[in-house]
Amino acid sequence: MKKEVLIAKLKEIVKPYIQDEKAFINLSENTDFIKDLKINSANLVDVVLDVEDEFDIEIDNDSMEKMLSVKAAIEIIEAKLAAK
Amino acid sequence: MIGNDVVDLELAKTQSNWQRKGFLEKQFSETEIRAIEKTQNPFELVWLFWSMKEAAYKCYIQTDKKRFFAPKKFKCFITSKNEGFVQYLEHTFKIQYQLTKEYIHSWVVKEGIVQKSFYINNIKKQSTTTNQNLLNNFTLETDIKKDEFGVPYLSKENQKLPVFISTAHHGNYGAYAIFK
Repeated sequence: MKKEVLIAKLKEIVKPYIQDEKAFINLSENTDFIKDLKINSANLVDVVLDVEDEFDIEIDNDSMEKMLSVKAAIEIIEAKLAAK
Repeated sequence: MIGNDVVDLELAKTQSNWQRKGFLEKQFSETEIRAIEKTQNPFELVWLFWSMKEAAYKCYIQTDKKRFFAPKKFKCFITSKNEGFVQYLEHTFKIQYQLTKEYIHSWVVKEGIVQKSFYINNIKKQSTTTNQNLLNNFTLETDIKKDEFGVPYLSKENQKLPVFISTAHHGNYGAYAIFK
């Protein structure tokens, strides 16, 4: 899957949880889920669960620990997809 | 170091679905899940545990400057109607909490800590209202800044003050803790 496609899918996933519209519109690889998008930390787990459903992968605890940004999420998704 | 967290229970009802498949398993230990399953008010306990974990995490990263998301590793223990503790690796954080019908406020207990929770009328001004409430404890020129890890600190004339602070807001509730 191309990175742009991954980012577009991720953008769709985080949409219901974001609290900063401007940062959302400008979402890029460097966007931070909490610092930029102001996603409530309790909703971060929803992002993780939605990513699992969307890509049919399992995100283990060690991976989840790092999933604070678009970049980290992409890396994790790519690695899990490759391991499938 | 200091940490506190607040949960607006009304907002939590609509913002998160704790009964969603996988939701508990991703962030709570087996012992915590058993306690949630057994209690009369699981919704309340989910958010009490959550706020305790957040308060402990916020306290922890004030010294170990590294952001991460590992709620499951912060293990909660409740010892009374307003006290408990959280264990993370070799660290133990003593917690006090205030639980009302409307909100939960949890904070890490320290000698001489000042903490307060309050209602925020204008939800769009959560952040500024919370900061202003905290700053009311200090002189006019004092300001709140955040470092790259999102840890807040007090600044006066561009000098970092030797005070630990923690702010929290969620929905119509805000809270802070100050530790000198």
